[in-house]
Amino acid sequence: MDFDFSPLLGSWRFLAAGLWLTVLLSITAVIASFVFGLAVALGRLYGPAWLKAVLVFYIDSMRAIPVFVVLVWIYFAVPIISGYTFAPFWAALTGITIHVAAYVAEVIRAGLTSIRKGQIQAGLAIGMSNSQILRHILLPQAIVRMLPAFGSIISVTIKDTAIAAVIAVPELMRQAETLAGQSYRPIEIFTTVMVIYFLIIFPVTRLVDRFYTRVAHLGRS
Amino acid sequence: MTAFTRKNADKPPMLIYDKVRKKYGNFTALDGVSLNVNAGEVVCLIGPSGSGKSTLLRCTNALETLDGGEISFESRPLPKTEPEMRKVRQRMGMVFQSFELFPHKTALENVAMGLTTVRKMGAEEAHKRATALLTKVGLADKTANYPANLSGGQQQRVAIARALAMEPHVMLFDEPTSALDPETVGEVLSVMRTLADEGMTMVVVTHEMSFARRVANWVVVFERGQLLEEGPPQQIFEAPTAERTREFLSHLGWNG
Repeated sequence: MDFDFSPLLGSWRFLAAGLWLTVLLSITAVIASFVFGLAVALGRLYGPAWLKAVLVFYIDSMRAIPVFVVLVWIYFAVPIISGYTFAPFWAALTGITIHVAAYVAEVIRAGLTSIRKGQIQAGLAIGMSNSQILRHILLPQAIVRMLPAFGSIISVTIKDTAIAAVIAVPELMRQAETLAGQSYRPIEIFTTVMVIYFLIIFPVTRLVDRFYTRVAHLGRS
Repeated sequence: MTAFTRKNADKPPMLIYDKVRKKYGNFTALDGVSLNVNAGEVVCLIGPSGSGKSTLLRCTNALETLDGGEISFESRPLPKTEPEMRKVRQRMGMVFQSFELFPHKTALENVAMGLTTVRKMGAEEAHKRATALLTKVGLADKTANYPANLSGGQQQRVAIARALAMEPHVMLFDEPTSALDPETVGEVLSVMRTLADEGMTMVVVTHEMSFARRVANWVVVFERGQLLEEGPPQQIFEAPTAERTREFLSHLGWNG
């Protein structure tokens, strides 16, 4: 078997444009998932009973439905129901965010509830309000404790962006498929893509782990 | 016990516990406890584990709710609403058995926390005050340390400084030395003794009988959620009236 990487050399800009979109989608999805997930976690922990019920149903649903299905549903079904059409990028961002935020919410909830009651009482004892305790005592410690889990979520989110290929978002995987179809060089192209994903995600998860070992004591009460 | 005059007995008591009751499910933690704490007094609560001393302390700043009776602080019953109670808590410092320092904050930031968040004081002034308090408890050189890099005794002294930062009128100590290595107990007790000498009103739940004997003005013996006996330390440690007090003290190896 002989290898021919010339299609890659000739079309690297095409693939690089896909990589850029993958990075953009990853960053926006991670940020949006964390913001939305934090809101869901706080709603589930401290919200009124009806809201808790809604949020539990949402979290359970997202854990039971593949992200692929969520994405396809948002892109193909939502426009028919609502009459509103998402651009592929926005559909992908929305789908991934809705899905990943459910996991983020569970991680944050677990982090907050893992902090011992004494910390809350120490805050109360100096006259702090519940919201001050949440902001100044619980959340900072919970975030530190949850760093390893957040690292996993970030890597899963980046990987999930490849699914956006099915709704024609011209990200890395989609560009690779196009290129492979044109050049009849799937081995070279998909191997390259695999390596690219690895080179993005591996350092990210390692950096998060490194960072965690340095700051772990800040979350140990 | 009426033969002894208590400190500031002519003034209204700082704390009045009136038939205080507290239950946890079927367990009665406090079974109608009545007790006064006068301004400037050091009152030590002693007694076997589970006898209700810590529960009484935690009811004092409403970390636990009462099931009956009433607690008055500075001539007013404890308020029922959270915002009102938060104001009262600022006048009561509390020190916990397990320190409960905030692990993500330095010693200085721990002490300044109440000032910056609750009092909305500027960081510079808060840090100045916190530094002064850490100096007072002998930790001027540890301001930048995180709790993870402090010994148990040092952590507890930071916790005392954190409580003092709010300029409380009374300090509540919940077994402050029980979680400490024996060699660091002394440094915490000596800080507490200094506070007592300065006239701070203190309610101390403790198993340190020699501290109670030497520093307390009034000692209260608890058993099974009830007040077994109270009196000045000379009486409690040298001539207890209740047989159970004698038994409890001899269990601790105390022989007068």
